[in-house]
Amino acid sequence: MNERPQTHLTADEIELWATGLLGAARTFHLTECAECLAVAERERKLLVELAQLQRFTPSADFAEKVLAQVRIPAPSGSHHG
Amino acid sequence: MFSLIYRMVRDRALAEDLAQETFIKVLNAIKTYKPEYKFSSWIFKIANNAAIDHLRRRQIDTLSLDGSPSARSPEEMHASAPQLGDQAESPLDEVESRELGGAIEQAIARLRPEYRSCILLRHVEGHSYEEIARMLDLPLGTVKTYIHRARNELRGYLEGARE
Repeated sequence: MNERPQTHLTADEIELWATGLLGAARTFHLTECAECLAVAERERKLLVELAQLQRFTPSADFAEKVLAQVRIPAPSGSHHG
Repeated sequence: MFSLIYRMVRDRALAEDLAQETFIKVLNAIKTYKPEYKFSSWIFKIANNAAIDHLRRRQIDTLSLDGSPSARSPEEMHASAPQLGDQAESPLDEVESRELGGAIEQAIARLRPEYRSCILLRHVEGHSYEEIARMLDLPLGTVKTYIHRARNELRGYLEGARE
């Protein structure tokens, strides 16, 4: 007898599927459940959009501004004179 | 890290101030860093705390983009919500409008801050659920719940925007 998982995919399983990490047995459920497939496709689309968001960078003088405000400790064991 | 703060506070100059504050805290407290904790997670934790503290202080929350809390219908909420370009924009405002004006960015902005942190840390910065739980001092189950709810809300906002 062919045993098929009948329960709908959980949110965790849908995330795994969207990232290509869901096992074959549970992935098979998507071939027979249009409801889960629709949710999973919407989820994948959202995850792709999030992953493609622009990476922002601060202004060019950012590092200089930070370093100007940091106490740089004197290296230990330094030689004097 | 700057991207996270910027998306949390949606103000470039303020995000730079908070990012500076974060790095200064990190560099001045470097001796207290515990190596069992991932270094990048430690920085993100400090950055996220800085952003959340700011939002709490200023009480800038998702309602500010959703319109008046006393609105009784979606139309009233829309009418009372601030619109981009309502006032004359400075060059920096224009940059922010361009950078954060897309549908997905606006949808993220509508999430409550806790959801926003979690979704950005997970799906933009790529941290695991366990790392996020440690960073935010939240139970793992709570982090999962926040992220699932945030994704549901985002899908709802995006589908509403595209209809």
